[in-house]
Amino acid sequence: MTVGMRIHLNFKSGKPVYLQVVDQVKSAAASGAIRSGEPLPSIRPLAEELRVNRNTVAKAYAELESQGVIETIAGKGCFLRASHSPFKKSVRLELLTREMDDAVTQAHHLMVGKAEFLRLAEERFDAFEHQRARAEQS
Amino acid sequence: MMPTTPGASVIAITNLVRRYGRADAVDGLNLRVEPGRCYGFFGRNGAGKTTTIKCLLNLLRPTSGEVRMFGLDPARHEVDVKSRIAYVPDSVAFYPWMTVRATLDYFASFRSRWNQETERALLDQFRLDLRQKTSHLSKGQRTQLALITAICAEPDVLVLDEPTSGLDPIVRREFIRTVIGAYQDGKPGQRTVFVSTHLISEFEGLIDQFTIIERGRDVLTLDADVARDRYQKIYARFADDPGAIDLGTAHVLRRDGREVEVVVNGNAADVTSRLKARSPETLTTESLTLEEIFVTTLEPNRAVA
Repeated sequence: MTVGMRIHLNFKSGKPVYLQVVDQVKSAAASGAIRSGEPLPSIRPLAEELRVNRNTVAKAYAELESQGVIETIAGKGCFLRASHSPFKKSVRLELLTREMDDAVTQAHHLMVGKAEFLRLAEERFDAFEHQRARAEQS
Repeated sequence: MMPTTPGASVIAITNLVRRYGRADAVDGLNLRVEPGRCYGFFGRNGAGKTTTIKCLLNLLRPTSGEVRMFGLDPARHEVDVKSRIAYVPDSVAFYPWMTVRATLDYFASFRSRWNQETERALLDQFRLDLRQKTSHLSKGQRTQLALITAICAEPDVLVLDEPTSGLDPIVRREFIRTVIGAYQDGKPGQRTVFVSTHLISEFEGLIDQFTIIERGRDVLTLDADVARDRYQKIYARFADDPGAIDLGTAHVLRRDGREVEVVVNGNAADVTSRLKARSPETLTTESLTLEEIFVTTLEPNRAVA
């Protein structure tokens, strides 16, 4: 199994299982747990380990590939791509806006104000950069 | 020449009725399984699962209604249908005088395909002794042997009837791993699994669509992801007792003082906004697991805490 990549599925999260795999691979890439050019586990062992349908993992990988996060090399498997978005900036921002809306809505319900929210966003950015830096050093 | 019906569902059951004397074991069941799906068939003991499966395998004739596999009537095209399916029942019987090796050869002799490589890999994985007589195998080992005979034949459909009941947790996990790995890997996207079980949580990750059967009828059919999105448990705690709150169609599990816990079916947004209007201290939402959905469908008042 790939170094540093640990996927935890939560059937109570309400998020489709394949999307949980997609998001966690992306987050592993963002934090440097997997680096560009490194292989992802192949479908069968990952499905066996997570005890999910093989099709679920295949669907997640297809989604990651269409988003340009990974690439499949025939006979060799799936690898993390170097710069991973084929989309134009406007599309990328639009995709991110949806996620941001969810987070903003959640913040509202948790009674977290704008200033606090922005501070948290900054802190998370730093945390990821820190993790990445550490991953690159090791 | 094998009759084929391109584009047909792997399994199509229409208004199936099967009576034993006066009792209806199956009473107007409908379901449809498309190729490549992993389909869960959930029901309590006695709900009609095994009777349905026996109709699929032509071990029982339907009293009325229609059963089709690959678009074919299993009673009229028994050989064609049976050559494309494999079945693992809940308790497996082998000829007791045969060894494991002889049993495998015996099963292979009925099959047009037999994957030796898979056979070797699974015998190894399960650590089965080829010289052992089947009468000396444990229940777990018999199930493992049955799974090998099913998977090596590389069927288009694997029909599993309560495959893991009565097995220890390690054997169960191994069983499911084998279905995911050895079986599904062969022809990705084409290998169909139809599994009847009441041990739902073990199959949670494997199932992508399911039907709940109760008293011989299908009471709920959904995609697993859709189901987990639709059925949610919402918990709210207030600073003070909020008094009466109209929660619409939500099913109240617990209502005591400052706390409210409800289960919703598809109207989470509406119920959440009604609760939010009362400014709760805490408001959390989580999806029900397939097992919890099963319980809440059959026994709304016992929905899991």
